[in-house]
Amino acid sequence: MNRKGFLELVSSLAGTTLLATKMPWFGIFNNPTGSSMAPSDRVRVGFIGVGSRGRTLLLNIQSIQDHMNVDIVAVCDNWPEHKERAEALTDGKAKGFLDYREMLEKVPMDAVIIATPLHEHAHMTIDALNMGIHVFVEKAMARTLEDTKAMYDAYLNSGKIMLIGHQRLFSPVYLKAMDMINNGALGQITMLRGWWMRNTDWIFYDVPGGRGSTLDRQRNWRLYWDTSAGKITELGSHHFQIANWVLDAEPLSVMGSGSLNYHKDGREVHDNFSLVFKYPGGIHFSYDVLDSNRHNGMGFQVLGKNATVQLEANKLYLENPPAPPAIRTMIHNIESSIFETIPIGGATWVPAEPVKYGGEYISADYELNDTQLFMEGFIEFVRKGDAPRKLTDEGYNASTWSLLAEQASRTGKVMTLPQEYKLKKIV
Amino acid sequence: MKDFVIKAKVVKRELMILLGAFVLSFFSNIYAIIVHDGQWSELLSQLHVVVLLTLFLYFLVLLIRLIYLGVKFLWRSLSSKSGKSAA
Repeated sequence: MNRKGFLELVSSLAGTTLLATKMPWFGIFNNPTGSSMAPSDRVRVGFIGVGSRGRTLLLNIQSIQDHMNVDIVAVCDNWPEHKERAEALTDGKAKGFLDYREMLEKVPMDAVIIATPLHEHAHMTIDALNMGIHVFVEKAMARTLEDTKAMYDAYLNSGKIMLIGHQRLFSPVYLKAMDMINNGALGQITMLRGWWMRNTDWIFYDVPGGRGSTLDRQRNWRLYWDTSAGKITELGSHHFQIANWVLDAEPLSVMGSGSLNYHKDGREVHDNFSLVFKYPGGIHFSYDVLDSNRHNGMGFQVLGKNATVQLEANKLYLENPPAPPAIRTMIHNIESSIFETIPIGGATWVPAEPVKYGGEYISADYELNDTQLFMEGFIEFVRKGDAPRKLTDEGYNASTWSLLAEQASRTGKVMTLPQEYKLKKIV
Repeated sequence: MKDFVIKAKVVKRELMILLGAFVLSFFSNIYAIIVHDGQWSELLSQLHVVVLLTLFLYFLVLLIRLIYLGVKFLWRSLSSKSGKSAA
């Protein structure tokens, strides 16, 4: 699917309940703001945090800034080398800062993109919203439930936009898959499965002093409980959002267990964990993460009575796939009769082996970048001055359940969302 | 260097074998469609499989012919040797 195909898909879904209720944000591609290239119509964007992810977001904004009339006015990072790198990327056009407050106060801007360590998100987001600046903040929202709620309240009180960086929300593959699910192609959904497995040490920076040092805690913040919940907030959060989105519901509870069984180098966060989220209707979502084996890679499956979709792989597997062409069946039968051995004894049961079926592509020839589409959507919403609340709620729910999943995996307790953190349903 | 001459008769024979293989493959497809409840559109859509099957059959026949000629050549060589030694 190319851009033209994506726009045709969104257009074909206009007016459907899917676009109206489940993913209203895609409507922005049907009704763009029709901005001019006039300087008065320019969206001024600043960046707080231009490390690994922040730099990627900066490059994505740069790739759309000419045709969407965007001006990158300022960049900020408390690591001088990151700040200087970002300044260089903008050819010195963006003013560089080491302190985000100074940046927000000195440079007029319409929106800010925050990609800092998790525990920094809350105060930066709240400060920007209170100053009347729209915010895009990386997922997950915050390190604690209290901070997450405080961000959400600041968003409501400010009347500004706050979007959370779950970029799959803007993936055309997911849009198409959600259309299939909505149309009943999968039948009754009975289970969700997700996993994210890598064979990596997850160390972003080699620092003097090694693991556990103050410097390491600052730079490799993902490895320590004070600043991160590890892969639950940094990776799992994406899949928790998808689970909520697919089922159009929040979990009732989450249970789980995690440990550090391989990377015993002084880090704190778990390098493996398993979670089970319970949803209404008796549906379970099981989720596994492992840092020492990449055999299974990353995946997210929605299992229904009639089919399975494997979203990360862009694949649909029908329970009763269409029969292959007759001549291939005939050739296969001849081959089997010649080469297949016939057991003359042994087990009387047939083992439940995985189905050997390649599946169909949800979207063939896929060539779009969902992070870039999210950035386009964000700029359009900023220009319009408003974004669907459901988009923010998706990020909020994924973030709160990430933190509950962390508590479940660390304590072994079954966690539920306390009443004070529940959002009111949009009517 | 000695030139190899392929006679028109040989070319015609090979083409006839290839045509025979194609006809056999094509009718196999018709048979398969009837037996396995396929769709008649597969006569066209699976033409590439029919072509592959044709080539497979052609080379199978070629292999059989080469083995036959090899055995025949060996038999003649052995017969002529034993004839000479008897004389």
